Amino acid sequence: MLLLQYHNLLIQSILQERFAPDAQPTLIDQVISDFDNVTYHVSTPESKTKILISLSVKCYKDLEKYGVTALLQREYEEYAVAPEAGYDFSIQVDLENLPATAEEKETLILKIALLKRNAMAAPFEKAFAEFDRLAAEAAKNSLDLSVPEDSGSEVMAIHYREEESIYIRASHDRVTVIFSVLFREDTDRVFGKVFLQEFVDARRRSIQNAPQVLYSNKEPPLEIRNVPGVSVKDDISYVTFVLFPRHIARDRRENCISHIQIFRDYFHYHIKCSKAYMHSRMRFRVAEFLKVLNRAKPEVEEEKKTSSGRRYGTR
Amino acid sequence: MSQSLRPYLDCVRSSLTAAISLQNFPSQVVERHNRPEVEANSTPEVILNPLHISRNEHEKVLIEPSINSVRVSIKIKQADEIEHLLVHKFTRFLTGRAEAFMILRRKPVKGYDISFLITNFHTEQMLKHKLVDFIIQFMEEVDKEISEMKLFLNARARFVAEAFLTNV
Repeated sequence: MLLLQYHNLLIQSILQERFAPDAQPTLIDQVISDFDNVTYHVSTPESKTKILISLSVKCYKDLEKYGVTALLQREYEEYAVAPEAGYDFSIQVDLENLPATAEEKETLILKIALLKRNAMAAPFEKAFAEFDRLAAEAAKNSLDLSVPEDSGSEVMAIHYREEESIYIRASHDRVTVIFSVLFREDTDRVFGKVFLQEFVDARRRSIQNAPQVLYSNKEPPLEIRNVPGVSVKDDISYVTFVLFPRHIARDRRENCISHIQIFRDYFHYHIKCSKAYMHSRMRFRVAEFLKVLNRAKPEVEEEKKTSSGRRYGTR
Repeated sequence: MSQSLRPYLDCVRSSLTAAISLQNFPSQVVERHNRPEVEANSTPEVILNPLHISRNEHEKVLIEPSINSVRVSIKIKQADEIEHLLVHKFTRFLTGRAEAFMILRRKPVKGYDISFLITNFHTEQMLKHKLVDFIIQFMEEVDKEISEMKLFLNARARFVAEAFLTNV
């Protein structure tokens, strides 16, 4: 599996099981965790046919500033209910009131499984809307689009993990997404550096259409230098994605949001995979070395015995 | 094999063969003890002169002979941060399995990455020339393994980055 899926597999499979035409309604009470300190609670509090799915995001306060409530309301309209205590957003699905066809059910399941993605999409959507506005303005004032200019638009910060954040900023010719990256382990840091360097080089080498990726260690990029709370620490590095108009064309927007969001998980996932591979490789190599060493032991000649257990007389 | 590696390994091979001429030697200090003298360091007269063999400043071997034991320490080439990390991981992996390796020392001598301790009991059980073969082969393969792992990491990183960026 090279690319990670955007939706939550567990939610998808639970719902698929419940939505199956011959499934008996059962009691569910399950807490599911996802990437980036996201927790879901799937339960049937009232009756077995009414499934309540609640979402808790650590940075919901940040997201609220960028219109997450409206976005989720738009996505889940009739299913949205008042949030469960301790959670940020809830939807309720009535098993007796499901869409008729199998395809529609499948779409609904996928939509619910994408809950986290949709919640995190709010600032991205806002940034893209801002980009549209600025681009239109720039066109009206017949500004030269190729000249980068300080638009003065707000930098949106989402503190989605304890020490890591995403910063998004729109201007008239691009949208900049900056991830702060922090590694807890030395090994991860070294591996991460190799990976990030390749991300930076990929565009230069083969994929001209890719967004520009910049990577800086310690120093925060200029765009976010004035944002309060941006720390200058030794072990923090910053990855910048510069999305050009062609990446955020209307028909590619949804995909682009999902894809950029998954960056950190994807990146860390592959670091872990490389470590696992190294481990199995070393295991193999050690076994090989042991074989070589065991060759140094002279073979002990087995005493030949008759079938009854008596020895051949050599005395 | 590169030009300078061959004489380096040849030198290590002949020095090791000369150094591993061991005999049983019960401790002169403590009664009924029989310890590797190079480790115990209690009887100076049975410890021979240590021997350095260097290919360059990053790759060298230290052979410390004594009457009943030889300690061989190897410093593995580490050109950059990644290789340093890989060597560290690999040697830790090996020393964690020192029990199975008999002649492997659990802790390397200071300044080196990995150490072997060969005592007279080992040479009594195992063939001397095969033991030397093992150490030489180890030195050859460890470099190869480290650079292969590094290449793999780079290749994977490149592939992963390209796969991500083409899909945006």
